[in-house]
Amino acid sequence: MAEYKLDCLHEVCPIPLLKALKSLEKMEIGDILIMHTDHNCSIANVVEWTKKQGHYIDYIEIAEGEWEIYIEKAR
Amino acid sequence: MGLYYKIVKKPWPYWVGGILLALLNISLLLITGSVWGVTTGLLYWGLFIIESLGANPASWYYFNVYSPGFRGGYTLILNPHSVLNIAIIIGALLAVLWANQYKFKKIKNMKQIFFALAGGILMGYGSRLSFGCNIGAYFSAIPSFSLHGWVFGVFIFVGAYIGTRILYKYII
Repeated sequence: MAEYKLDCLHEVCPIPLLKALKSLEKMEIGDILIMHTDHNCSIANVVEWTKKQGHYIDYIEIAEGEWEIYIEKAR
Repeated sequence: MGLYYKIVKKPWPYWVGGILLALLNISLLLITGSVWGVTTGLLYWGLFIIESLGANPASWYYFNVYSPGFRGGYTLILNPHSVLNIAIIIGALLAVLWANQYKFKKIKNMKQIFFALAGGILMGYGSRLSFGCNIGAYFSAIPSFSLHGWVFGVFIFVGAYIGTRILYKYII
């Protein structure tokens, strides 16, 4: 089970979502992707898209206007 | 999970935003007699800047054939487009301040500057050729039962599809 970090700071839609998509493609089932973002759209569109794809996802606000999104590849 | 978290901090679902935007645009049409648009206001600001630099855009072919809608009595700030644009910025600022999510965004790298500038110029140029952006020529056009909104919509999807493919394959 590997852990991947993805720096999406200062990036806006649709870059964070596309970066997540690209990383998930290379990952194995069970691997974790940790996204670091300050774009509040990401906690809506990345979360919605990942859930639709059937992966596990959760996020926390680590500072004012900054989030870490955790995605576990499920399939 | 308090009400503050649910309403102020958590992003609203897309359908809630959609309904609110529709209701607000209807009220705007009822009260002011015109629909929501964004880029026309930016056009006025751009024209103001190049006019202060000494150019005379009023003599340009484009503005002689297609009126930019700058009516008598409008000033740079006191026209419906500029007021709405400034109000959007103030409203967005209040929303992030209330949610405690205000943050200065830094420039990531040179690549980001290049693509932001290139994208901005392409969008600005395109919005003048199509007489509006995705707000004026799409979002406000469809409820006005104008065919051009649907044409605009179809090509948004074509453009977004091609753009996303290029972005995914070559840029990120």
